Amino acid sequence: MDDKKENRTVIEAEVPMGTVHPGALEPYRLRLFVEDEIVRDAEMTVGVNHRGVERIMEGLPVEKANSLTEKICGICSNIHIWNSCRVGEIALGIEVPERAVYIRVIMGELERLHSHILYLAHGCEVLGHETFSMRLFYIRETVMELLRMIGGNRVQYGSAVLGGVRPRCELDEMRIQKLTEGMNLLEEGLNDFANRFVSDPMVMSRITGVGVTSPEDALRLACSGPTLRATGVELDLRTEMFEYDPFEYDVITEDDGDVKSQLLTRVFENFESIKIIRQAIRNLPDGPITNRSWEMQDTPITKSYIEAPRGTLYHSYALEDGRVRNCVIRTPSMANIGAMQYSAIGHHITDAQLCIVQCDPCFTCTDRAIQIIKR
Amino acid sequence: MELTYSLIGVIGTLAVSFIVSLLLPGIERKFIHARIQQRVGPPITSPGVMAPIKFFFKQTIDPVSPMPRLYNALPLISLIIIIILLLLLIPQMYFLGALASIIAIIGLLKVEEIMYMFMGSLSKSVLSVRMPFPDRAKGAAHPDTPRTFFEELSSLRAFRLIAFGSFPIYIALFVAVAMTGSLYLSDIIAYQQTNGPILFTLAGALGAIVFFIGYMILLNEYPFSILKGKPDVVEGPYLEYAAKYRAYVYITRGFLMFTLATLFATLFLGIAPNILNPSFIVTLIVALLFPMIMAVMSAFSPIFTYKQFYPTVAGVSIIGVVAIVAALL
Repeated sequence: MDDKKENRTVIEAEVPMGTVHPGALEPYRLRLFVEDEIVRDAEMTVGVNHRGVERIMEGLPVEKANSLTEKICGICSNIHIWNSCRVGEIALGIEVPERAVYIRVIMGELERLHSHILYLAHGCEVLGHETFSMRLFYIRETVMELLRMIGGNRVQYGSAVLGGVRPRCELDEMRIQKLTEGMNLLEEGLNDFANRFVSDPMVMSRITGVGVTSPEDALRLACSGPTLRATGVELDLRTEMFEYDPFEYDVITEDDGDVKSQLLTRVFENFESIKIIRQAIRNLPDGPITNRSWEMQDTPITKSYIEAPRGTLYHSYALEDGRVRNCVIRTPSMANIGAMQYSAIGHHITDAQLCIVQCDPCFTCTDRAIQIIKR
Repeated sequence: MELTYSLIGVIGTLAVSFIVSLLLPGIERKFIHARIQQRVGPPITSPGVMAPIKFFFKQTIDPVSPMPRLYNALPLISLIIIIILLLLLIPQMYFLGALASIIAIIGLLKVEEIMYMFMGSLSKSVLSVRMPFPDRAKGAAHPDTPRTFFEELSSLRAFRLIAFGSFPIYIALFVAVAMTGSLYLSDIIAYQQTNGPILFTLAGALGAIVFFIGYMILLNEYPFSILKGKPDVVEGPYLEYAAKYRAYVYITRGFLMFTLATLFATLFLGIAPNILNPSFIVTLIVALLFPMIMAVMSAFSPIFTYKQFYPTVAGVSIIGVVAIVAALL
């Protein structure tokens, strides 16, 4: 930590980037304080894309509010609606049918796959390796088509509803067959990519030892998800979620906490997701996919935490006359911003954007309402 | 009559070179980048021909620059410098004596490099400091720090390229000089017509490798594109060029690709660009091969930072010095 302490006395220049920058792809302002192109301190500002989803949700019928949460993020849309439904189900004591839970897990893991592959492709693009980036997008296409097959869309699937999943998302024999074939294709493509990626000396030279975050600092900065696990901390919320109890998988960790570890964590997590999906389609239970036998009632504020592709996602709201009250959403990128700023310190400006990207940021869904507490 | 032939030679060579140079970016992107990345790619004429034509008919912007006219004129000046460079390589121009020598070529290439410094220092785009964003709000870190534009950063990098990055190409030029014992292009070509191409000697082969790396650095191509890297300085010195000025930038780049390949053919194969000589086809082949090999290399490389750039340049420069020593021996 000492070697990364910000230098407040001798700062040569500030290089502001964004809120529009082609290397970033998302709207955020980054101020890099540099000496001879080496970053001595960094400040990141978000909030330019605030849409006030929580405010819009206030007073909406819970079903409508749930479907609105899907619009928070274009990458992890499914996990938002899943978690929002989860809040309602916990609050109202709705028992979700086992088959629906399995389909939710399949959707969740497919989304994790597409999010992680997108992250890897973006990482390669920031590295300047367009060929790797393009090939990853080809690999990702399989996942996108599987998501479209189940949910009907490539971005907004709307699979989860209160009490289960939409009838559209039922998995028949043909879909199960396509999922099996898709997983085989994906595994092959990812294996091929992983082998090429780790054996490329120039790529390794760009990412090894860059943007290091120690496990202590990652915990202090409240990082979550793969960003935390890449520093060696074995913490995955899926191990605490009842939905994942029937499945066997490994929690992937890497030791170094640098860009290489961050990228490899996602690569290996992809294989675990494939493993989970294979188990889910092999053991998919029979039965209904929606439980309609529940009654609406007023509930206090109920919380739900879920392991999104980027880390811990938090949703909470209360119900009053079937309508949502006091909704709060916190996305994983909000927790990971500290690590992004911190890991860029001590590195070259070109690596700074890589240090930001290594935490898999999604700033449009991070731009949530904040409460300013006056003391 | 002889004067007419000379004029036809010079004008014809320039015209063919210009046409081929317009197609080079398209060939590079369509047949190499796109094939490697398993996509269709743009039409061959799109990057080099259609894009500049389109830009010529677009409305331009006023750059935020202390000298906007000079800033806008720089791509055209660059193009003129490269045209002069190619002219000096054409055998009909060797009567100019010292101007048709390695020293003049190095001088022109240096001027071309200095253009990037001027471009960078004269531009202040909206993508960084000028972005209307309340950075100095209450609680902001280091509020009184001097602020730098991306282009200023790329201007500094251009200076480093002049000071260090362009070593390989200049060392490679002197391999031919060391081998032939003359600075004059006419002597270098005459030597190779008698003794065979320098390329097929140990010193020449090493020099060719060094020249090629220098070619990539001078063209700011991946992985050496520190002047205009997408993750930090975006387009660098070119950030505020729009409409016809951006068209000049595109044309200049294509022409530089062709001229450097022609320089290689002259120095390492002993074939000067002359449309009246059938060996001109070799120059065209070299001009096609260079961007293709460059595209393969850039497709499989990430952008270098100084950490990778300096050792690479140092290593290649050492190979260049070894080539010169081998040529002298």
